[in-house]
Amino acid sequence: MSMEDTPAAPADQTALPFSFTGTASEYFGIWIVNLLLSIITLGIYTAWAKVRRLRYFYGNTHLDGHNFEYHAKPKQILIGRIIVLGVLILFNVLTSITPFALILLIPYFAAIPWVINKAIRFNARMTSYRNIRFGFEGKFWSAFGIFVAMPFAVILSFGLLAPVGSRLVSNYIGDGMSYGTTEFETDAPLGKLYRNFGATILFVLGVSAIAALIGGLAVTIFSSEGLLGLVEGAIPKGVGDTLTYAAVMTAVIVFYAVTLFSYLFYRAGVRNIAYNATTLDGVHGFQSDLSRLRYFWIILSNFILTICTIGLMRPWAAIRTWRYQANKTTLLAAGPLDAFVESSQMEGNVAAAEFLDIEGIDFGL
Amino acid sequence: MTRPASLEGRYFPRSSSGSVDAYLSGTPDSLEITLADDEAAQPVLFQSVTDRLGNVARKISFQDGSVFECSDNDAVDAFFDHGSSFFGRLTRAESSWKFVGFAAIATVAVLIGIYRYGLPAMASAAASVTPASISKLIDAGALDTVDRVLFSESSLEEDRKAELTTLFGKLVKTSGESSPPLRLLFRNGGRIGANAIALPGGTIILTDQLVALAEKDDEIAGVLAHEIGHVSGRHSLKQIYRVLGIGFMVTIIGGDSGQIVEDVIAQAVAIESLSYSRKFESEADRHSVSVMLEADRDPYAFVDLLDRVVGAATKDAKETATDDTGWLSTHPGNADRRRDVAAHVEAIKGKE
Repeated sequence: MSMEDTPAAPADQTALPFSFTGTASEYFGIWIVNLLLSIITLGIYTAWAKVRRLRYFYGNTHLDGHNFEYHAKPKQILIGRIIVLGVLILFNVLTSITPFALILLIPYFAAIPWVINKAIRFNARMTSYRNIRFGFEGKFWSAFGIFVAMPFAVILSFGLLAPVGSRLVSNYIGDGMSYGTTEFETDAPLGKLYRNFGATILFVLGVSAIAALIGGLAVTIFSSEGLLGLVEGAIPKGVGDTLTYAAVMTAVIVFYAVTLFSYLFYRAGVRNIAYNATTLDGVHGFQSDLSRLRYFWIILSNFILTICTIGLMRPWAAIRTWRYQANKTTLLAAGPLDAFVESSQMEGNVAAAEFLDIEGIDFGL
Repeated sequence: MTRPASLEGRYFPRSSSGSVDAYLSGTPDSLEITLADDEAAQPVLFQSVTDRLGNVARKISFQDGSVFECSDNDAVDAFFDHGSSFFGRLTRAESSWKFVGFAAIATVAVLIGIYRYGLPAMASAAASVTPASISKLIDAGALDTVDRVLFSESSLEEDRKAELTTLFGKLVKTSGESSPPLRLLFRNGGRIGANAIALPGGTIILTDQLVALAEKDDEIAGVLAHEIGHVSGRHSLKQIYRVLGIGFMVTIIGGDSGQIVEDVIAQAVAIESLSYSRKFESEADRHSVSVMLEADRDPYAFVDLLDRVVGAATKDAKETATDDTGWLSTHPGNADRRRDVAAHVEAIKGKE
């Protein structure tokens, strides 16, 4: 499909909604048992826990009367985690005993594109729908440009290039993905991404105004209560002022929160744009209509509830997020989905996938 | 449940997304697939069946790559005699509220137990088996860093340095600490001003500003004895191991909770660690008292010096320093420390 093609008219496409049948009460049992066994086995069971968690979420996600399936074997995941742990320990030891720690950044940056490509492929290969697995094909230098060079460009442009980065990432992942032997294609429009960026800035301004109000209150309360009693001798002279300290602390927390909120808002917008610009086999389309504010609210309220219930509401929160995303996603099928054929792509690399997992990097498919 | 003669479900031929309604019959050793629109049964060779999990439909894979899907979990378990497998039992347990409640309580209890007793015990054990060569490496790295970012060369006179080093030597002898070997270094404190630091490998750093602030050598001796207490109690090593242990725990617990929750746990742990560090400070204070009494010196002197340190640090501040122990303090408040020191002096004198 060339760039000029407009998506096929909805008339010859059938809208097939994704749906999610997992329930919070059922998942709570799975979750708490996963947690207990993980702790008792000093983390070894986390590999089994991860597989059970993903199997539950994928297995309860349905499209056109069929569910998804997660295929990774726990032992595989465990080996991947052990490798990652070994590499991380080695890396930390090296950085703490060599005076030239910066040199180690070179192999690190050189490895990132490879790791990302192998990780996306592993996660894709471990996912199937209707007996057909997904796949991913990436290129080292494309990944290097998008995941290593582009972030620097975004920072140097004070974030103004962020939508360009989002377009590159969305297109790279979308174009690299396949379903069996059938290719996905993504061409996220830059105009829409910049509009989403603008909306995010407005959102940030709104949130900042509220945050400043709360922050101001917090400083007043903190300093009048003298809660931040001085840390004897441990605080530099210049900062030895309770008020400054409280203000700095509050500012740091507020900055972190605002960054996070705006990221959630922005990401929901990007997901919509990327899905709506994705086709399968050039004929089937996708639709994602997350409400950015609603998505932001779901994550925020999930977080507050999770913290307030010392984690016990976490299963409910996870189910709620997943269900919202599934309910807002639609496949625009141009015909029956029973003629796809499996491909014989390699498996990818489990350690790479586990590295991204442990580092909390997620490309949210 | 008795074993059903056949399972009803959908059959996916090899490498195909198209499914056909079908029946699976026979025994696990000789299975047969019968398609709904085709009377003839075809033999299939069993490869694997997915573990039971919630109400997720089961997938039975065959050696030729074809798959049979069945959503009747009980029937599948009975058919393959999988009901008593580990995950079969686990799934039944997970749907019983009694078991889940028990698991929830056990999880919280185990977590508290590990946090309160397991981690400190682990940290102490690891600290006591850490060879001196490792802690020396840590010292070298840490010293390199603080020299670069905090300290500059000491401007104390050589005579004064020699005097204090002799004093230090005596205190080391009194406290009877030999491994790792202790050494005293002098530095200009720069931004951190009057302070003393103990590194895990036995390196103790005294800043010029602290020496200048002291009115009697007993005051410096008390501080040195305090720092010796940190090294002999292996406090820094324990702190390092504890942080590592907590990091590991957070990774296990927070595995599926998302980045935000993990960050918040990390912050909460950091604040909680401060109270752990206050515990070490009190321990080092008591060590100082014991050593000072043993050496026939004034055990209270170093608290006077600390008062002056806090005074100097807050001289330009608009507010007066509090003597209370705040929840964000790494060290106990000076009033608390004076009280504890007095109590410990009494305790030791009482024993004699």
